[in-house]
Amino acid sequence: MKIKEKITAPAPPGAVKTVGSFLLAFSLLVFSQQTANATAINGDSTTILRMREGVFGDHLFPLYEYLNISASDAAGPGAISLEIGGWGRVDLGDRSFEHRTEGDIQYGYLSYRANRSNFTVSAGRQWVVEGVGTERIDGLYLRSDLIAGLTAAAYVGNPAVTQPDFDGGDLIYGGRLAHSVPKYYSVGLSALRTEVSGDGIREEEGIDLWLHPISMVDITGRSTYNSLSNGWMEHAYTASVTPTEALRFSASLQNVHYDDYFYQVTTSALSLTNGIIVPGEEMWNVGGSVGYSATKNIALSAEYNHYEYDLAGGADYYGVNGTFSTTTGLAAGASFHRMDGSNDRLRYNQYRAWATQKLGPADLTLDFFDVDFDGSIGGRENTFSLAAAAGYDFSRNLRVAADVDYIRSADFDNELRGLIKVSYAFGVGKEGK
Amino acid sequence: MKKTVYLTVMGVMLSFLYACANTTSVARVHPEEVKGLPRCAECHTDQWTALSHQTQDFYLKHKIYAAQQRDACSTCHKESFCVRCHAHKEEIKPSDKYKERPELSLPHRGDYLSRHRVEGRINPASCLKCHGRQNNERCKTCHK
Repeated sequence: MKIKEKITAPAPPGAVKTVGSFLLAFSLLVFSQQTANATAINGDSTTILRMREGVFGDHLFPLYEYLNISASDAAGPGAISLEIGGWGRVDLGDRSFEHRTEGDIQYGYLSYRANRSNFTVSAGRQWVVEGVGTERIDGLYLRSDLIAGLTAAAYVGNPAVTQPDFDGGDLIYGGRLAHSVPKYYSVGLSALRTEVSGDGIREEEGIDLWLHPISMVDITGRSTYNSLSNGWMEHAYTASVTPTEALRFSASLQNVHYDDYFYQVTTSALSLTNGIIVPGEEMWNVGGSVGYSATKNIALSAEYNHYEYDLAGGADYYGVNGTFSTTTGLAAGASFHRMDGSNDRLRYNQYRAWATQKLGPADLTLDFFDVDFDGSIGGRENTFSLAAAAGYDFSRNLRVAADVDYIRSADFDNELRGLIKVSYAFGVGKEGK
Repeated sequence: MKKTVYLTVMGVMLSFLYACANTTSVARVHPEEVKGLPRCAECHTDQWTALSHQTQDFYLKHKIYAAQQRDACSTCHKESFCVRCHAHKEEIKPSDKYKERPELSLPHRGDYLSRHRVEGRINPASCLKCHGRQNNERCKTCHK
């Protein structure tokens, strides 16, 4: 369903009032209790000033403020908490985005969590992760353990989405029922539905599992079915084997049917109609990796992924990665990866090397990232970025950091970016500190 | 009428199942402070050993752990931690916000704008979870 103009995070006035009432009521409950030991308020503020030049030579100095606040009271048979986080931006120089000022509430909800049965109820803007549902909603979420190892969760609300091209819906609801034997497995069945004016635009069902039959084996995965397009969207499974604490093998399998997987999105960049996402395509991605910790301070890993398609040519992605650290505060890493697609435009070598040194309250970091394309990307065959960062902890609560990034990309011959960041954490109460 | 009866029966059944469960909730706060990327196997010997953040496949598998045991994540991570990457509407990519943490598996390091022209074709499914319905307003600049 195409929309005519950009709408961000729609929420009918009624829903906003309902959620707002919940937030206000629970806030009063949290802050009216005289339980100093059990009450905690904490948060953090991060102020960021970015400095860079735009594509048209404009000078961009966006100033951001990120603020997260958490207030909780655990005096009763459970804990009531209020979680709010968001950001705001103002352009001190030329306009960096569509508007000179912008902001967003990333999350804002009140929650009650009981000491028994993992019972949780939350109201407000929140991120729900339940089986096939990985959604940000303005609404209500409920979860609890049931008898005999069963667990149930349900949610309903307005989907909090950005909609540059397509409607993301005005109602979403879903749930998950799972059975667990904690030492061995957890298997869940889940479903969700999104509607626009009563018509379904998403209907997904799935199974998710986490198996650990013996301590050295760990298997995770999920299969998702699209009941509007009547096809499997995705199967994605990963198995890990850890024969010793230092050695870990991992194998993964992913199968994606494009018609079903990209059935409903809100951006044309990922729609089946944009000419890039090929309708009818099916992808298989089979891969594996091995990780080895030679000592507690040295870690090595290698990975390989093979991509196979019904319509396009295949591709391979493989590489190695190594990191080490010392007791003197030095940590460093290096990696190499090769993307080997079906033609020169889909092939590149990627190199990375980084190092960071702690010197008491100060730290210094260098990070070099280089990509050699076999073909040309925007007229360039090599792009790189070299970042230098420094930070200083004035106290446990206050940190100031800055970085400079020199980049040669498909868009810039020489680009210099800067960033200054001031982070401050605060808290009162036993947990808050 | 039939729907009301159905919902009432479901409600009574769920209340009964909840009342009989009476399990102990996962701790709200991890009993010991954990610094840096944890190696859960240093203390745990059960299923929680899988959550060691330093393994090479943790980044790949953490979505399932979070979907199945979010309460376990919450013992150390508040919501503010998750939204550093899983944002609703974000203008700064995580790897730009945390340049001084090069050891983290943050997405889109380096000049990703050039590289996404390749990776977006190889596996566009990997883009959808973060950009399919959120964080996609800037896509329109090029993807008309």
